[in-house]
Amino acid sequence: MTALLELHQVSLDQRLQSTSLTIRADERVVLLGASGAGKTTLIQLCNGSLKPSKGSIQWRGQPFASLTRHQRRSIGTLWQDLRLVEELSVVQNINSGALGRHGLLWALRNLLGVLDKDACLTVMHQVHLEPSLLNRAVTQLSGGQRQRVALARLLRQRPELGLADEPLSALDPVIARDVLDTLLSFPGCLISLHRPDLIHRFERVLGLRNGALVLDAAPETISNSQLEWLYRRS
Amino acid sequence: MAVQTFLKPALPLLTLLPGLCLIPVVAILVRDGHGGGLPLLIQFAQGALQPSFDPNLLKNLWQGLQITLVIAVLSWGISSGLGVILGFLGSRTLWRTVLGSAWPALLFRRLLSPFRAIHELIWGLLLLQIYGLNGWVAIAAIVIPYSALMARVIADQIDCHESPALPVLQATGGPAIAVLMTAVIPAVSSAIKNHIGHRLDCALRSALILGVFGLGGLGTDLMLSLQSLQFHDMWSGLWLLAIAMVVLDQILGSLQRKQRIGGVISVVLMLALVWSATLNLDLSWPSGTLGSVLDVLGDNHNAAAAFFELNWVAVIGSTLLITLMASCIATAVPPLLLLLWPSPRSLRLQSLIWGALRLLPTPLSALLLLVMAKPSLPLAALALGLHHSGVMGRVLIKDIRETGFGSAQTLERCGATVRMSWLYGPLAEVSRSYLAYASYRCDVILRDTVVVGIVGSAGLGWQLIDALSSFHWWLVAWLVVAFIGLTLLGETITERWQQRLNCKAVVL
Repeated sequence: MTALLELHQVSLDQRLQSTSLTIRADERVVLLGASGAGKTTLIQLCNGSLKPSKGSIQWRGQPFASLTRHQRRSIGTLWQDLRLVEELSVVQNINSGALGRHGLLWALRNLLGVLDKDACLTVMHQVHLEPSLLNRAVTQLSGGQRQRVALARLLRQRPELGLADEPLSALDPVIARDVLDTLLSFPGCLISLHRPDLIHRFERVLGLRNGALVLDAAPETISNSQLEWLYRRS
Repeated sequence: MAVQTFLKPALPLLTLLPGLCLIPVVAILVRDGHGGGLPLLIQFAQGALQPSFDPNLLKNLWQGLQITLVIAVLSWGISSGLGVILGFLGSRTLWRTVLGSAWPALLFRRLLSPFRAIHELIWGLLLLQIYGLNGWVAIAAIVIPYSALMARVIADQIDCHESPALPVLQATGGPAIAVLMTAVIPAVSSAIKNHIGHRLDCALRSALILGVFGLGGLGTDLMLSLQSLQFHDMWSGLWLLAIAMVVLDQILGSLQRKQRIGGVISVVLMLALVWSATLNLDLSWPSGTLGSVLDVLGDNHNAAAAFFELNWVAVIGSTLLITLMASCIATAVPPLLLLLWPSPRSLRLQSLIWGALRLLPTPLSALLLLVMAKPSLPLAALALGLHHSGVMGRVLIKDIRETGFGSAQTLERCGATVRMSWLYGPLAEVSRSYLAYASYRCDVILRDTVVVGIVGSAGLGWQLIDALSSFHWWLVAWLVVAFIGLTLLGETITERWQQRLNCKAVVL
C-alpha cells in the first residue's frame, strides 16, 4: 500500500518524544492514550498545525513545507472544538471545506447566498442533517448538529487522509456511530479516541503514554491489560 | 424537502460590500480632478520626510501643542467625571434597583440627547460668538457633548452587563446602593475605564479641530501652515502631534493597568490647571452676551422667515449623502486593505496607515484633497471617510489581534489561499462586532459632516457655520434643531441595527 503520511523521528518539546510512524492508504488507525498523553499534539503535527522541533514529516514522499495548497487539501481534520465559522450559515460552512478547490470569486459568491446546493445537500444527507437546516446560522444548532456540519465540511473537502481529534466526545450513541462510520469511509484515517471498546472497527491501534508512542499493533493482538496500562497513572 | 434559496450576504461580506461606494466616488473625483495640484501633493508628501527644525517654529509649535493638550486634558477630565455621574443616572438598572421603575433613566437619556447631538465644533463656534475667545469656551465645547455621549455609553454598558447576581443580592434585603456597588460596578468598571481612556484620544483630536477653526492651539498653527503652503512647517507640527499621541497612549495604557483611573483623572486635572498658568491660554471666567442672542430669538417674526430661507430637502439630503458615502468608505477600506495583504506581519504596517489617517484633522485632509479636485460632495465624503477609516482600522486590527490567527491557519491547512483563509477566518470572526461598531461610527460621521461642509459647500454644517458667521441666530436655531433631529434619528436606526446584529458595539 502507498504511504500517505510518514513521520521520521519527530519530536516536539516535552509534548512528543521521538516518534516514527507511517500511515498508508486504505488504513484506518485509532490513537489511544490518557488525557495529556500527546494525542492532540500528534494530530496537529500530522495536519501541519504544529511544526516538529526535530525530525521530518512527509506527505506522499514530499516534505510538508513544500506542499502546494492543492496537496494540502488532501489532509482534512475534524477538530475537537469543531472550528466552525460562527458568523456563517450551515451551507456556507460546509462550502468552506471546498475553498481549496476554488478561487476568491467563488469564496465571495458563497458569502452572498446558497452556492453549490446539490453538493451540500448530498453531504448533509450523508451525515443525516435535515435539508431544512441549509440556511440556518450554525449558532442556532445543537451540539450534535454542529458536529455533523463540521463532518459535512470535511466530506466536502474530500481529503485522502481524515484526521479527527476526540470526535465522539459528548455525543449520544446514535450520532457517535454515524460520525465514526463517516470518518471510516475516508481512504485513510487517524482518529484519536477515548473509547477502547471501539478498536475493533480499526485496522491498527496506536497507543501514546507520556508523549511516547508505546503501542502500535493490530486490534486483535492487544490485551486488556495493555489497554489498562495506557490509561493508568504512573 | 424543498429548500429555499435566496441572496443573503453573510457578515464578512457585509464589511466589504460598502466598498462598492468607492466606484462612483472615484469616478466623480477623476471627472472633477485636475493635475494642477499634483506638485503640491508631492511637496506635502516630501514634507513628511523633511520637517522643518527651525527653533522659532518648533518653540511656537510646542506652545501650540501644550495649549491643545491642556484643553484636551481638562475637557477630558471634566467630561469623564460628569459622564460617569450622568451615566449612572441614565442607567435603567440603577433606577429599577432603587425605585423599581426605569422611567427616570429614560427621562435622563432624553434630556441629554440634544447635548450630544451637537458637534463640539458647533458648540465651540456658538460659544465663541457669545463669549469671545477664551480657553473655557474650547473646554466647554468639548465637555458638553462628551459628557452626554459618555453618559449614554456608560448607561448602555451598565444595562448590558446586568449581573445575574443582582436579583439574588436584592433578595437579601440589603440597601440598593450596596447591592449596586457589589453586583454592578465590578462588572462594568473595566469597560468604563477603557472608554474613559479612549476619550482622551478623542478629546485631543477635538481640541485640534477647534484650533483649526480658530480656537487656538496646534490646530491653528497647522491650518496657517497649510494655508501658506508651508508643508515642512506643517509636518513638524504633525510629527510633534504624533509623538504626543503615542506618549499619551502609553501613559494611559500604564495607568489603566494600575486600575486607579479616578485618582489619575483628579491628579491629571490638577496638573493641567497648574500647567495652563504657564501658557498663553486665557482661563479667566468668560463674560458673555447671551442676553443679546436671547433678545434676537425673542422676535418670533424672524423665526418663520429664517426657516423658509433654506431648501431643507437639499441641505438635509446632501448631509445624509455625505454621511452615507463617508460611512461606506470608513467601513469598507480597512477590511479591503486587510484582504489586500493578509498576514500577521502586515498588521503593523496597516496600524501605521490607520494612525496616519487619524493624525491629520479632517478639515485639513479635506483642504489637501481640494488641491486635486473641484469641491464636491464625494470629495467631502472621501476626506471624512478616510479619517474615520483610521479609527475603524484600529478597531479591526485590535479585534483581530485579540481573536488570533488560528482560524486562518486552520483554513490554510485545508488548501484555501491566504486571502480566502483571512476572509473566512479572522475577518469573519470579528465581522459582527466590527459592523456593530461601524453602525455607531455612522452617528459620529453624521455629526462630523459639520467639519467638511466647507469642502462641498453643502450640508447642514456648512449652512450652520455660515449662519453663525453672520449672527443669524434664528437660522442657527433651526439648523441646530435639524441636526438634533437627524442625529437622534440616526441613533435610533443604529440601535435597531445593533439589536439585529445581537451585539452592542463596545463603543470606543
